[in-house]
Amino acid sequence: MPVFSALTDKMRWHQARQGLLAENVANAETPGYRGRDLAQYDLADRPGGFSSASITTLATQPMHFSVSSSEGGAFGAQRMANFEITPEGNGVSLEDEMMKVTTNMMDYQAATTVYQKSIKILKTALGRSA
Amino acid sequence: MDFNSSLRIAATGLHAQTARMRVIAENIANADSAGKAPGEEPYRRRIPTFQTHYDAEVGGKVVEVGRLAYDMSDFTSRYEPGHPAADASGYVQYPNVNTLIETMDMREAQRTYEANLNVVTVTRQMLGRTIDILRG
Repeated sequence: MPVFSALTDKMRWHQARQGLLAENVANAETPGYRGRDLAQYDLADRPGGFSSASITTLATQPMHFSVSSSEGGAFGAQRMANFEITPEGNGVSLEDEMMKVTTNMMDYQAATTVYQKSIKILKTALGRSA
Repeated sequence: MDFNSSLRIAATGLHAQTARMRVIAENIANADSAGKAPGEEPYRRRIPTFQTHYDAEVGGKVVEVGRLAYDMSDFTSRYEPGHPAADASGYVQYPNVNTLIETMDMREAQRTYEANLNVVTVTRQMLGRTIDILRG
């Protein structure tokens, strides 16, 4: 189902972005912190036919932990082009971050809505009342 | 990075700003704490510091309160000959706390706290939407 894997990929992107934005807001007062964001999501930029398969190591001991999904996941976090940097070297502007958080949420909601609609279409095709 | 790590990162932000508010409250409360005897140092202003560190468990860069530094600037002195802590020339040393600066810091801490709280709210809404898919 290409629609579902595309939507899942996009939702995963929003999830990773939310994590980075949370980092930026939490570190908004930390000297020397510059802030990071993800590159704009683009379906055409995602080769591999929306494959979400990833390789993780097998945890045979409870003390093992996976580091594969850290640092913004597979989407590649990049430093923001800061509009202004405070004298203590912090480049996070809270207003911008709040705008990004809200935009991220709205786009995520759009994706989940489309996902739900797709499920409803599937149900209709199967002959069940949606 | 999943939504739970976003929530936990925002929680460290809330925690750091709470600690900062506590230090600011200490400073303001002691803005007039002079020494008991002549030559005794009054309260010295404290400055909270923040630092970023990568938390492998959370999977992201969290903020934590670092060392509480002392503000080594000069104390203010006021001429109060009747004060028990007055020196030979009648001057009393008062803390290097400027309540105006502390109030500004307090506002900043408040705003940052609200921003972190907003991240928590939004992340929870996004989580709710994900759970809605299960209901759909």
